[in-house]
Amino acid sequence: MTTPLVVFVLILLLPLFMASWRTSLLGLAGQGLLMAWMVYDRAPALGLDDGAALVDLGLLRGLVAPIVLYRVLRTRGVPRRNDVIPPNLLSWTAVLVLVLLAFRFAAALPMPAHERPFVAVATAALLLGFFVLATQVGVFSQMIAVFRIENAIAMFTLGMPAEHDGWWIRGVEIAVLAVTLALFRWYLLALTPPAPAPSEEVP
Amino acid sequence: MSPALWLLAPLAFAPWLRVRGGRHASALVAVAAMVEVAIAALISFEVIPGVELAAAGDALTTDATARLFLLVIDAIFLGITMSAWLRRRVNQGVPDRGALDGLFAIVFLVAANLALVTNHILLAWLALEVTTVAAAPMIVRPDKPGAIGASWRYVLFSTIGLGVALLGLLCLTRGHDPAAAGSYFFDELARTRAPAGDGWRPLGVALVVLGIGTKLGLAPMYTWLPEAYDEAPSGVAAMLAAVQFNCALVVLLRVLQLPDALDGPAPGVLLTMGLASMIVSAASILATRNIRRLIAYASINHAGVIAIGLALGGPAAYGVLLYAVSNAFIKAILFISVGKMEHHYQSKDMRDVGGLIKDLPYTGLFLMIGTFALLGFPPFGSFLGEMLILSSLSATGQLLVFAGFCVAIATTFVATGRSVFPMIWGEAKRKATWPRQTAVGSLPKIAFMAALVMMGIYVPPQLNALFRDVAAALGAH
Repeated sequence: MTTPLVVFVLILLLPLFMASWRTSLLGLAGQGLLMAWMVYDRAPALGLDDGAALVDLGLLRGLVAPIVLYRVLRTRGVPRRNDVIPPNLLSWTAVLVLVLLAFRFAAALPMPAHERPFVAVATAALLLGFFVLATQVGVFSQMIAVFRIENAIAMFTLGMPAEHDGWWIRGVEIAVLAVTLALFRWYLLALTPPAPAPSEEVP
Repeated sequence: MSPALWLLAPLAFAPWLRVRGGRHASALVAVAAMVEVAIAALISFEVIPGVELAAAGDALTTDATARLFLLVIDAIFLGITMSAWLRRRVNQGVPDRGALDGLFAIVFLVAANLALVTNHILLAWLALEVTTVAAAPMIVRPDKPGAIGASWRYVLFSTIGLGVALLGLLCLTRGHDPAAAGSYFFDELARTRAPAGDGWRPLGVALVVLGIGTKLGLAPMYTWLPEAYDEAPSGVAAMLAAVQFNCALVVLLRVLQLPDALDGPAPGVLLTMGLASMIVSAASILATRNIRRLIAYASINHAGVIAIGLALGGPAAYGVLLYAVSNAFIKAILFISVGKMEHHYQSKDMRDVGGLIKDLPYTGLFLMIGTFALLGFPPFGSFLGEMLILSSLSATGQLLVFAGFCVAIATTFVATGRSVFPMIWGEAKRKATWPRQTAVGSLPKIAFMAALVMMGIYVPPQLNALFRDVAAALGAH
């Protein structure tokens, strides 16, 4: 496992144990930026395809998405605390079991050794995304789960042999992701009620 | 230029929507749909001279699967938009939904067509994603507070389902040739068998089945569907049920057309999801009193029948196609009729409606015909399709599934009849006035009904050849 992948796993896990929406958004930003760095590290002489990947991972997932969601939640005055998974020993154990399962699963698949850690980390990210989705009913937490799953898929493609779907398909992907993000912002605004104003203390 | 690129033509109408300020949005969308139907017919019947069908590695294809479903979804989309336009002409009280919804409808149409003609797996996935993003805002209605929640759940489940499907598609590209760069083209993947002991292709197919199954409304990821169909305007519900459903189905068909696709866990997954969907939908139809939800649960039931047919592979392929195409027309007829009924009675509760055949004769008639076709009565194509799937079940020795299938179908039959027939023939519950019902306004539904009967009695040779070619690609002899 390379250092960026170890850091990625930590970024996946930390927001699950720290129940704050700011940490969740920081986690998303960290995932996007780290994946962008991996793309850059893999091919410092950037082609069109890599450039598009950087825009997708670094700019859109790493910066724009967390900032857009942050601004909505701030506008709505949402309280700090936001549990991404139920805060109990069972959930925390389940998280660790899922990570272990992901690594065992990747070990069983036929593939070159250097691709295995990417698949393991992507599978862990995917399973944790589904775990968040399965345990939460709030719109924001569900959005976090969706972005975690999308990032898991992006991580899966990062470990694949140099494929070439072409920069134009990446371009369409970026456009669709941007529109989806705008749609998410709209839903979050519409479905998150403003926090009640603090009542004045009566002496 | 590939003729499939002509299918982008309706996008040219988008600037007009802005110029006209949405005043005639439904008329413009109907014209755009007419253009698309004309192009689809040219492609499907190969009347464009000198057209080369897709060669290996082309991003677009006009194979039999694309040609069959292009005709179906474009004709249905045209019928839905014509119906909306005619309804607004007859009844001035029905508001036009404006330029933005017109734009979404056009983008939805083009993306749906692209999903059918693409040979590139990422492009197919993107096209499905665009249909979702375009349809989601159309579900929202200002006068329905629950619609935005339904729209969100639709987007949530669709995004998750398509994400899983994308993962499956990516696994397929890995399974293609581990030594070299994987192919992203369906036709190239279809020419190669997975190496012995390669786990990627079975895993990929199973993930695509799970992911696309969510888009089709198969259990266990079906909860978005009744809510979205219930809250969306009737035309949008028809688009989701008849158009988008078939786009997702085509992507699934393309994956199941790959060699070895049914050698792994996919048939088991399809059978389980199919049977579970039929049982869940039958129980839900028994419980509901909401006509839109009833049709939505019936859609889940249809998805279940199709999944079971697909699990059987070649022997049931022709029946599955006939069933899928027939059901697209049935759902369009039913949602359009229910939209009119709902506007008339201001209620979706079936207990509030009675004597429909006297009160709204055309709507009552089409609701009756649609329900008979929904229940798989002859002479409709759904009857023939269902019989072919049932006989394949028995021929392949799947007797337990056969028994479950029959119980679920019988329950659905009784539950639907018990709720819908009193609405059509029962005593009138409420006196209401309605400007008028014209035969012209019912033209799209008449065309849909003719198509349904045609598929049950006589399929024209050119169309039958398309059905047979697609079935052959799924392994039918």
